[in-house]
Amino acid sequence: MKIIACYSNKGGVGKTATAVNLAHAFAEAGSRTLMCDLDPQGASSFYFRVKASKKLKDASFFKDVERFTGAIRASDFDNLDILPANLSFRDFDIFLSRMKNSRSRLKKALKAGGSDYDVVILDCPPNISTLSENVFRAADCIVVPVIPTSLSEHTFEQLMDFFKANKLERKKILGFFSMVQRSKKLHRETEDRMRKQHRKRFLDTSIPFTSEVEKMGIHRAPVATYAGNHSAATAYRDLYAEVMAHLK
Amino acid sequence: MKQTDHYCLPLKTASDLPDLKFGKLTPIATGDETSRAFQLLDTFDDTLSGAGKLLWDTGETLELLTPRDGLLRQPATRSGPFVTDLADGPVKAALGEVSPLRALLPVGEGDIQETRLSLVDGEQKTRVRINLRLLTTQQGESVAIVTLQGLRGYDKALAQVRKQILASGGAPLGEGSIYATLFPGRAGYVAKPAILIGQDEAAYHAANSIIGTYLPIARANEKGIIDDTDTEFLHDYRIALRKIRSVLSLFSGVYGEKATLRLKTRFSELMSPTGRLRDLDVYLAEKDKFFALLPATLHPGLAQLFDMFADQRKEAQTALSNHLKSKAYRQEVGDLVDLFAKGKKIKRGPDADRPALDYSRALIWKRYRKVCRIAAGIDAQTEDEEVHRLRIQCKKLRYLMEFFGPVFPRAEFQSILKPLKRLQDNLGLFNDYSVQQDNLRALLDDLGRTSEKKNLEIAQSVGALVAVLHRKQLEERAKVMKSFGNFNSKTTRDTFRTLFHDTEGKK
Ligand SMILES: Nc1ncnc2c1ncn2[C@@H]1O[C@H](COP(=O)(O)OP(=O)(O)O)[C@@H](O)[C@H]1O
Ligand SMILES: [Mg+2]
Repeated sequence: MKIIACYSNKGGVGKTATAVNLAHAFAEAGSRTLMCDLDPQGASSFYFRVKASKKLKDASFFKDVERFTGAIRASDFDNLDILPANLSFRDFDIFLSRMKNSRSRLKKALKAGGSDYDVVILDCPPNISTLSENVFRAADCIVVPVIPTSLSEHTFEQLMDFFKANKLERKKILGFFSMVQRSKKLHRETEDRMRKQHRKRFLDTSIPFTSEVEKMGIHRAPVATYAGNHSAATAYRDLYAEVMAHLK
Repeated sequence: MKQTDHYCLPLKTASDLPDLKFGKLTPIATGDETSRAFQLLDTFDDTLSGAGKLLWDTGETLELLTPRDGLLRQPATRSGPFVTDLADGPVKAALGEVSPLRALLPVGEGDIQETRLSLVDGEQKTRVRINLRLLTTQQGESVAIVTLQGLRGYDKALAQVRKQILASGGAPLGEGSIYATLFPGRAGYVAKPAILIGQDEAAYHAANSIIGTYLPIARANEKGIIDDTDTEFLHDYRIALRKIRSVLSLFSGVYGEKATLRLKTRFSELMSPTGRLRDLDVYLAEKDKFFALLPATLHPGLAQLFDMFADQRKEAQTALSNHLKSKAYRQEVGDLVDLFAKGKKIKRGPDADRPALDYSRALIWKRYRKVCRIAAGIDAQTEDEEVHRLRIQCKKLRYLMEFFGPVFPRAEFQSILKPLKRLQDNLGLFNDYSVQQDNLRALLDDLGRTSEKKNLEIAQSVGALVAVLHRKQLEERAKVMKSFGNFNSKTTRDTFRTLFHDTEGKK
């Protein structure tokens, strides 16, 4: 079982959009896939029309395998199941701080509860916290959407510094450019600069800025299901292929 | 992770299904309605439908509806009618109950119309999937099969939909035959029917109904033998005749002496042309086993032997098939059927009017005593001849018990029938090894008469085979006393006595 985290220490960059479309692409390709919505706001659960979990609250996510597996719901797509969020996920840091081995609890919980799956995809909330440290340790790769702007560049540097300072494996980080508008000079320049600066950290695929992705909120479904031929759908498929290649 | 179940639905309910409400769930159609041709397949004795499964060929795919795993598919290409002829795949893997000796035959044809529905909640999230298949034959008969597929985490929804389907007349697949609905008038084949014999029924009448039941069973197999569909047709044909013959010899006194003798001759004449083909069928079926018994150096000779058997089988099959098609055979077997269908013309014997219960108790008890007497005389030194006698008497006892089974309390009866079957397995193997040796020795004699080099190689392999079979026979022989002991435990002895001998055992 492989764990892929969709993570950024910044909000609104396309983590959830990536988690949803990547999970769908893995399932389409035949991997038994579980998408775990770690964000208490439950955006990715919403896109799959799965209601928030009632029973998986407080520390049970980390302590109670039966509750964990009991909370899993099938999506409407073959091979793709969802672990919906619960509002109490916002207190993960508090629960974790009370537990032993507080930085490896997530990995343990996912290995136990997700043993039926080939791939577990995490949709993460945006911060650097005990939870995100757990994410960094648990994940086989960390997919980081970066909007090619100076602010995003700054947050990406912060992430790299954090990995360095904490002796985490920087190899796991797979950055990619998200919501890209090639028509904007700033976007082009930032992208080129960052690719040079972090040569090995960026995937070739970029996801364009397009209303087809925004429409996920109306369709409540992955892009490929309603706009399969659109450039955004193609981009997500390419992203899947690149991530898949990194897993091997 | 997938959970499926199938129900036969009344046609009206099936057509209403897309407009029904299931609690808070509403059906929405997903994908287009599809339609394709099907040919239903099953063995002659309906193994699959008996197991609650439905197998069809659409021309491109083989599809198997199973109670446990839902619908399985694999490409339809196959090299012959047997399960072993299918390519490896999920359908083949789920056909475990089909005997490797039985061909899959067309049951009938028609069209499958398939509709997929999702039962969605208020958020338009699917909670249960429904697959509705309407099978319609060329004659216009229809069956609706609904498959419910639960989704992980939505067990409650599945349970509720299931409840509603059952409440609206859905019957779990496997309860009642779909074939009967789709193909009314289709004669199902049952090799071992339960023959109803009343306790007070006259023995004469019981004998007539047993023979009158097994004759048509034998006849039902004629076509399969003639067409050479599979080897089980001949096997069943012979068993039916053997049962009839055992009635004639075991129920002595039910028919007049002369009549009995005459019938015995007539039935043994039906039987005798079948022996040759059956022997060859058995050899050919055991081919792999024979190869495994000999070292590789002797395999070339064995391969030639089996080529020879295959050629001989072709001849024997043609001969038997011609015989079964002959006017003389048809006339004779037809006369016999008529004779027992009317069941009055045969001369009655002194025991004709004895009540079946009384009569069968006496017969079974007598046979059981005989089995015990022979067994008591068997030790390690006894001649094989005695073991053969024991086997034959056990077989007669088994037939008697099976004929009259319905007359006795089921549980007790089964409790002695099971250990008897185990004893017979041992004796049966002993006999098979012995008969095969005899046949192979006879073959060796034949081969010895010519001096072709090819035959020499065969003879070498056959010689080695005889030696191995002899060793196997000795192994089985060594088990006989112990198996008999296992069969004839105190409980068995007591049960035999109460059921068939004690006066208070009568009911
Ligand atoms: N490639 C894109 N093009 C246009 N809009 C996008 C794109 N990716 C995401 N969005 C929109 O941006 C908003 C934030 O995206 P989201 O995936 O929820 O980010 P995060 O999970 O990082 O907060 C959403 O409204 C989403 O529809
Ligand atoms: Mg998000």
